[in-house]
Amino acid sequence: MENSNQKVWYITGASKGLGLALAKQLLSEGKKVAATSRSLEDLKKAVGENENFLPLAVNILSEESVEESIKNTVERFGSIDVVVNNAGYGLAGALEELTDAETRQNFDVNVFGSLNVIRKVLPYLRKQQSGHIFNVSSIGGFTGSFPGFGIYCATKFAVQGFTESLAEEVKDFGIKATIVSPGYFRTNFLNDSSLNVPKNQLQEYKAVREVQAAHENEINGNQQGDPQKAALAFIKTADMQNPPVHLFLGQDAYDMAEVKIQAVRNNMEAVREFATATGYES
Amino acid sequence: MKTDKIWYVTGASKGLGLTLVKKLLATGYKVAATSRNSATLSAAVGAENSENFLPLEVDLINEMSVAESIKKTQEVFGKIDVIVNNAGYGIGGAIEELSQEEIAEAFNINVFGTINVIKYAMPYLRTQRSGYIINISSIAGFAPATGWSIYAAAKHAIIGLSESLADDVRSLGTKVTAIAPGAFRTQFLTKESLVFAKNEIDDYEDVHASHDRFRNMNGTQLGDPEKAAQVMIDLAESENPPVRLYLGSDAYRRAAAKMGTLSSMLEDWKDTSLSTDFN
Repeated sequence: MENSNQKVWYITGASKGLGLALAKQLLSEGKKVAATSRSLEDLKKAVGENENFLPLAVNILSEESVEESIKNTVERFGSIDVVVNNAGYGLAGALEELTDAETRQNFDVNVFGSLNVIRKVLPYLRKQQSGHIFNVSSIGGFTGSFPGFGIYCATKFAVQGFTESLAEEVKDFGIKATIVSPGYFRTNFLNDSSLNVPKNQLQEYKAVREVQAAHENEINGNQQGDPQKAALAFIKTADMQNPPVHLFLGQDAYDMAEVKIQAVRNNMEAVREFATATGYES
Repeated sequence: MKTDKIWYVTGASKGLGLTLVKKLLATGYKVAATSRNSATLSAAVGAENSENFLPLEVDLINEMSVAESIKKTQEVFGKIDVIVNNAGYGIGGAIEELSQEEIAEAFNINVFGTINVIKYAMPYLRTQRSGYIINISSIAGFAPATGWSIYAAAKHAIIGLSESLADDVRSLGTKVTAIAPGAFRTQFLTKESLVFAKNEIDDYEDVHASHDRFRNMNGTQLGDPEKAAQVMIDLAESENPPVRLYLGSDAYRRAAAKMGTLSSMLEDWKDTSLSTDFN
């Protein structure tokens, strides 16, 4: 196991949720952490003062802002070793209800922001021939069986897609990539501050309204996942010589992934005959 | 054979979309089909005078244009039954090589165009309490090859939104299938349908070698587009179409291998997965 105390972490969206829990845990272990948020004040208030902490006000949708923050991190700490693309938010709503603007904003933050970070950090990681990129997806990025979360699932599926390819394309440079698919963790993810709902709600989508209400009420505050334990799982995985490309976090995420794998397998078996009969006659 | 369903197919001037439209018309279905250029579309389909064919010039990332085309289809044919979101193109390149603009454009066509069509078709499908939406993803949407990160992301997104959509609209009488085809013998692997990062970085040797392998495969793809089209027609006429369909023996094999990898990864890391709940 490498000595992770020498590793420098760069975490986006660290003023709340899993990002905040991770930044705090790392700092409590004496590790160096650069962390981003849209608001420097929120970030400083949430994390607190620490000599190993570099708070950065970053608009992850701006390549210039992202590039500047990465440059600052390397100047301050000498390198970047572990990147955690954690910034993101949930969006409820049927596809028909959400406007083009609501849809695109979710993709901006959940997908394109992470791509900006990856694009701007890779020159440093390639040069040092080492590094580990964690992209925080969701169990909703592995199974789309979340009625009323179509766009959110689409963004998180997208994260899984590019991370799998990324893992392959940077392998030769000594760089690793891991998709983290958490289940429900007890953060403020389902509060008004993180979960967006459609402005134009159609009552006809009964299933969507019920799921939305369940997330805002029963599920919020009762999530089984402990954010601090998730932080420990990130740290442990970053110390591994051969970390996995897929890491599911939480019993709920594990169970849903297992059920999904079996369902897809059963489904494939059921359609095998016609699904494989589309080749030219040889 | 019943041929009373009305089809609406995007990106129909080439590839699987074109093959499908021709087969539908030959079978006797009524078809509205979109392309950026209606002259190219009509020439490709070769059915200008058919009363069963409605060529539509549509910019899929323009909501007004999409809404207008669906309204027109409804006016001309009286209803819409089957939507095929087929328009799309491949994009190759390492993430570091691709610009924000190249990525945004790929998502515009491959993801947001599809979402626009669904959004404007749903009011009609909901009202008639029936309908079928086929979203064309790719095997890259489940088991991507090296060098296609952004294409993989866009096609994964299609599978994700299709699965949620299927749940959302089931009680409203609409069915949904995401098809993930393997390699079919269309123009997909030519410059007509494939773009690459402008800013190539020499270090990414594996990525560029993978691109060469795909280009060299052009013309020898295993899949017969005619057979893919027939599968779509059969699905639309079936009672319970699957939500995900890997199409072609190559896609099927890659998906099966991927299921195996995922399954072992899930088991190998089970302890970590289960270590994060509150006691």
